[in-house]
Amino acid sequence: MKKILNISVLAIVLLTVSSCDKGLSELNQNRTSPTTLDPVLILNTAVLNASFASKSLYFDIAIVQQMVSPNGGVLAGGNFNADYRGEQGLWGSYYTSVIKNTKDAILKTKDIPARSNLYNMGRIFQAFAFMVLTDEYGDIPYSEGAAGYTDQLFFPKYDAQSTIYPKIIQELTEASTALNVSGVVESADVLYSGNIAKWKKFANSLLLRAGMRLVKVDATKARATVQAAFAAGVITDNADNAYIRHDANYGNPIGGTLNGGEAANFYLTKPFIDRLKSTNDPRLSAIAIRYVGATSGNGQTVASGNTTAPIQIGMPMGKDNGTIVPQATVDGLASFYDYSQADRRRILKVTSPCFIVTASQSQLLLAEAAFRGWITTGTTAQYFSDGIRAHMDQMAVYDAGCAISASARDTYLAATPLNAGTELNQINTQYWISSFLNGPEVFANFRRSGFPLLTPNPYGQPTNPDVPNGTFIRRLTYPTSEASVNATNLNAAIAAQGADLLSTRIWWDK
Amino acid sequence: MRRIFFALSLLLFFTLQTFSQTLTGKVTDTDGKPITDVSVLKKGTRNGTYTNNAGDYSITGASNAVIVFTSVGFISQEIDVAGRSSLDVAMAVDNSNMSEVVVTALGIKKQSRGLGYSTTNVNTEQLSVNRTSNPINTLQGRVAGLNVSSLGTGPGGSSKIRIRGQSSINGQNSPLIVINGVPIDNTNFNGQTNGVKGGGVTSDGGDGLSSINPDDIESMSVLKGAPAAALYGSRAKDGVIMITTKTRAKGNGIGVSYNMNYTTDTPLDFTDYQKEYGQGENGVRPTAPNPTSGEWSFGEKISGGMTHTLFNTTGIPYVAQGSRIKEFYRTGKNFANTITLSSGSDKGGIYLSLAGVTNDGILSNNTFNRKGINLGFTQNISKKFSFQGNVNYTNEKNTNPPNIANQDNSIPTTLMALANTMPLSVLNNNKYDPATGNEYIFSRFRNRTNPYWVMAEQFQNIRRDRIFGNISAKYNILPWLYVQGRFGQDYSSRDEDVNNFPTGQASRAATIPGFVNGIFTQESRRFRETNMDFLVVANKNFKDFEVTLSGGGNKMERQLDINNVQVTDFVVRGLYTVQNGRAKDPVYSLIQQGVNSLYGSGEVSWKKTFYLNATVRNDWFSTLSPANRSILYPSVSGSYVFSEHLKSKWLNFGKLRLGYAEVGSDGDVTPFSDQLFYAVNANTINNPSGSAVSLGSINGSIVPNANLKPSRVSETELGLDLRMFNNRVNFDFAIYSKITNDQIVGVQISDASGFTNTRINSGKSSNNGFEVLLSLVPIKKKNFTWEFTANTAYNKTKVLSIITNKPGERITVGNHVFNGELRYVVGQEIGQIAGYGYATDAKNGNQRIFQANGLPLRTADLVLFGSALPKWTGGFLNSFNYKNVILSVFIDYKLGNKMLSGTNFNAIRHGLHMNTLEGRVGGVIGQGVNQSGTPNTVATPVQTYWEHLRTQQIIESVVYNGGYWKLRQISLGYDFTKLIPAKWPIKGIKLDLVANNVLMIKKWVDNIDPESFGFGSDNQAGLESAGMPTTRGVGLNLNVKF
Repeated sequence: MKKILNISVLAIVLLTVSSCDKGLSELNQNRTSPTTLDPVLILNTAVLNASFASKSLYFDIAIVQQMVSPNGGVLAGGNFNADYRGEQGLWGSYYTSVIKNTKDAILKTKDIPARSNLYNMGRIFQAFAFMVLTDEYGDIPYSEGAAGYTDQLFFPKYDAQSTIYPKIIQELTEASTALNVSGVVESADVLYSGNIAKWKKFANSLLLRAGMRLVKVDATKARATVQAAFAAGVITDNADNAYIRHDANYGNPIGGTLNGGEAANFYLTKPFIDRLKSTNDPRLSAIAIRYVGATSGNGQTVASGNTTAPIQIGMPMGKDNGTIVPQATVDGLASFYDYSQADRRRILKVTSPCFIVTASQSQLLLAEAAFRGWITTGTTAQYFSDGIRAHMDQMAVYDAGCAISASARDTYLAATPLNAGTELNQINTQYWISSFLNGPEVFANFRRSGFPLLTPNPYGQPTNPDVPNGTFIRRLTYPTSEASVNATNLNAAIAAQGADLLSTRIWWDK
Repeated sequence: MRRIFFALSLLLFFTLQTFSQTLTGKVTDTDGKPITDVSVLKKGTRNGTYTNNAGDYSITGASNAVIVFTSVGFISQEIDVAGRSSLDVAMAVDNSNMSEVVVTALGIKKQSRGLGYSTTNVNTEQLSVNRTSNPINTLQGRVAGLNVSSLGTGPGGSSKIRIRGQSSINGQNSPLIVINGVPIDNTNFNGQTNGVKGGGVTSDGGDGLSSINPDDIESMSVLKGAPAAALYGSRAKDGVIMITTKTRAKGNGIGVSYNMNYTTDTPLDFTDYQKEYGQGENGVRPTAPNPTSGEWSFGEKISGGMTHTLFNTTGIPYVAQGSRIKEFYRTGKNFANTITLSSGSDKGGIYLSLAGVTNDGILSNNTFNRKGINLGFTQNISKKFSFQGNVNYTNEKNTNPPNIANQDNSIPTTLMALANTMPLSVLNNNKYDPATGNEYIFSRFRNRTNPYWVMAEQFQNIRRDRIFGNISAKYNILPWLYVQGRFGQDYSSRDEDVNNFPTGQASRAATIPGFVNGIFTQESRRFRETNMDFLVVANKNFKDFEVTLSGGGNKMERQLDINNVQVTDFVVRGLYTVQNGRAKDPVYSLIQQGVNSLYGSGEVSWKKTFYLNATVRNDWFSTLSPANRSILYPSVSGSYVFSEHLKSKWLNFGKLRLGYAEVGSDGDVTPFSDQLFYAVNANTINNPSGSAVSLGSINGSIVPNANLKPSRVSETELGLDLRMFNNRVNFDFAIYSKITNDQIVGVQISDASGFTNTRINSGKSSNNGFEVLLSLVPIKKKNFTWEFTANTAYNKTKVLSIITNKPGERITVGNHVFNGELRYVVGQEIGQIAGYGYATDAKNGNQRIFQANGLPLRTADLVLFGSALPKWTGGFLNSFNYKNVILSVFIDYKLGNKMLSGTNFNAIRHGLHMNTLEGRVGGVIGQGVNQSGTPNTVATPVQTYWEHLRTQQIIESVVYNGGYWKLRQISLGYDFTKLIPAKWPIKGIKLDLVANNVLMIKKWVDNIDPESFGFGSDNQAGLESAGMPTTRGVGLNLNVKF
């Protein structure tokens, strides 16, 4: 009896123990999120997220003296020559919401012949994103970048920019070549609706840009790359422009910022306005607005807005909200709210597009290539004027109110010949204007070319601890999070590249 | 009139006493020593006296009565006089509190005498009388080792409970809450951590504990360490709070009682801002219409005259304004009523309570209402079979809990930074821009919302229905063997609707034509946790040995489903509905998890002197991979009642205890964290060909890890329990050492990896500390008793490993809303506040270094300013009992923690802080040296100087000692029971007057109460950002028994 009892107790115990993990695996199944997704949708996210974030306004656009704020706090950046040291620029957003997704799309399509076009589109867009990052910071994680999930690489090593550029060039070349016009059309693509011809031009234009970047450091490689890109066909028509379309749901980040909390805090700079004004550039009235007599954000009403060119006044560089007050008086303004702004109701709406590669930019790069004698088809002057023309024609895409009439355009073109001896200056000053709002590109090209000729931002000088007197910011410093978590790799990069300072020059900028 | 009648009745009552024969005698202890102040009372009457210094007493009219002898610390005696005229009594020392029964893990009742670990019983009357918005807040400072903090968000707000410090690196540190043996949900909805999707709202949505009515609590015990909580295995890492609710009347018969509590909350203003210089910038007051300096007090010296309002051409006097806090906030009111009906008999009983709570928060549109029904019952069907159960239903409505701890859209931030000459009435009268109907911009910081506009336009409604309870049946198979089965469920539905960003908010960009901007969110969630368990317990004596064996199992399942729809922009202005929204973003998520467990324990005691207890529990987790799924948790504890061997006159009881346990925590392995998921955006976008295309992406920024397992705690605890001098001196001491291993660390990884975090089992931390409880009865006289209790706890938590154990390795776990962060650093105390400091010159006595323009230089990198967690917590309670009057005074403290004050950072930046008075004329000359080492002589304009700190993120000047000493509570009670005529239907009346948060005795932080925190999460501990002002509560509690 006792034995039976014992056995049955034992049996019950064993039975209970063995059933203890039954059903648990079923419980741990997520019924509301998919584990796979069409990679084209993921590439779409990468494209949308590549639209330049507000940090690009605080740094890139302020460094190249196009827009600044007299206010500090989170807005401190290029305006104050300040090494903000938090998250500068696009590091975090590009790695975690652009490259993370391109990487995934590339991985998921790599071995599927039917998605070969998508695979190469992913590679091209990823090359674009990496180029933006390396131009901003110098050495960055490239070969191990964004491989946190795929390769479980949580603390990627940094690659020297000198090795990244050849790889980007290789990627763009291969992908552009591999794109098959008669292959599958990825019609869900948000950038070009899967139009392969346009993707090819986009890739080649990036290649042209990459090649030109190397002018100072490796002219031979620069020349070969530019020639290859040109031969393969770059964007020369605004219809082929690569731009991110924004709508009410997927807004332009800078447009959002300048229509929201920071609406009254950013102003076009004196160097930018003066340049446009002195050349009677019709783009000035397409871009700028001055709320005449405004003494506060409230005063910046539609009624007080004036977009005519002669009335525009730019904010001088190097002022904070203490020194800007007397300066506004000197400039004859009611307050600093009376300086000219980029018009948030036209060019910088929430729904304004974000241009990443344009016909204007490619034409101007070709102008320089022609000037250098690297390409012989077409003349420097023709590329130069085509580049300006393309940008003026492109303005209407922002808003009908930004459109520049053909007559105004042609008047300007006629008055703006390319003069011997100042070609590079003129071409790259035009590049500066036509890349307005493309912060990373305008910052990179300014460092590469040295044009336009700008006066270094005097803020905090002569002893600004972050930027030596009389110089410009030459790169952005790495995010502090990298020093926190990826110090070993970061320090190796710093040892190779030079101190992690705003003044350190990156490889192609020596 | 009624009062006079009452007094007359009392008078009559006393005069009608019969005076007859006298009874005399002496009362001694068992050693023959006289005992003074023994109460000698004729049973059933109010006729009584006390013994004198020689222990003698004399009482009249007691010849045929039963006399009751009572004295604190001795066993009461009732003796029938039976005609005697002399009666000597020897009273035995009462060690009954040593046979006090405590509820231990799984709801098993045990005598505290044998426990090998520390548990503390809570005085539940405190919870009812000194009512605070969340019942648990009352415990602050009262239990050694228990650290309670609230967000000060008033009614319906959450509270944070930490037992023996926090050990987890990822922030899961809340103790398990168990009601009648079954765990309940205590999800915390405080702003920054569980904020409403879509942003804009950082209110405190409350927690699970707040739905418990303190009047229903019969007992509450705190199982502090792992040895005490070991039977809860994976849920025991942070200790357990065991609550037993009432299931029957205390004695036999029917009881009805009514409890009323009314308190008012007065907002406290700790600001000491400068009032010499008014609104304006760079030393100039606004002289033009529509100035933008609404947040700046760097204007002119206040010396009369006029200035301009923020909104129009009207001039207003340039004079300093009074307290913002007093002007803006109202006095809060809390009104709680409970009626209970209970009955009891030998067979069992029931307990029913109806409760209603109405709270008006100090923010004038914030109200909180709770209605609750609690039913408890217990019944013995036969000698062998009994069952009991309880059901608790609550209905809560929380309207407009305030937004806290944010720079944007936060009322407290605006109020605490507003220019000091700007009248609030101007803001109130100009909420709306007359031209557009939108918020009228008053500052160049547009996201510093006008508080009156927020009050008028933003709403948040939270409704919660919750029913929890359990039923258990017990069957005694043999006199020494019983089985018990139990089923418990906690179910709640919580609905919330909130307009995150009301239409027209100044900081929001306008939307596309045809719509108005704004965000509205509607969410409903349903939560269910069920627990099924069984227990077999055998208890048998073998000569001097007593053996108890028990075994059981538990099956827990939890399900949460959330329906959330957020809409952006609206067709019809002012209509906040989902269907009126332009872009819609619906999310549905279903989260399930389960844990199955088996456990057992064995206890052997010898002669009630030596006790040895061992437990074991095995858990199987649904959230873990099958290979890692099963985990075993053992514990062993023992105690030695040495007073059984060490006989001493002064030692009534002495026990030494020692315990070791391994427990865990599964809270940090969330369901589905083993796989990568994708998400599809709700809204499409048009591609160049004009077709709508979708966007999809990898969901989340955490690299999934399929190999996680729960963290594991090993804790050793040593304790000493002494009761001395007739129990007038009691001392309880515990010292513990706890190592938490395999912590799931949300490791911040390089975002160049594409992700920001991954979770790995690598974190290790140690908690070391001790707890002391000392209670004394310094005076015990006939009519007067003074009782004194002091408790103090020290805890130090060190991070031993994050990814590796390399000293200095660190992770950032939380960021302040603007500058500074919270880091965990290997080799340091947990919770380090980090940020930029002032660069100092090591060669020149560490003086601050100034640039050539006179502005301070910051450190090259972020530096650590110390731990945000208090090392010392505790309190002192004095209670005085004079006749029927009880006065208690309670002081508490938290010490040894740092805090980063965002409020003060704003005050410095905006020229409100007293420090900014320096250099108003002629500029600030910072004390220190320049970069070449010679003393700094360069003056910088005052506004530039202080704003520089913000731009450069130098937080050093706003990192404070976050400790405090507070006079937390005073209560004065009077028990009218003895004054009530026996014929009256009322059996007892007790009235208490209470005051909470009475006085700040000592604090170190400027301008705020160190307790007015905005963040509830451990990962943001010490990072203060303007929250609600703390309040002083004054009120009364009336308890009537029928």
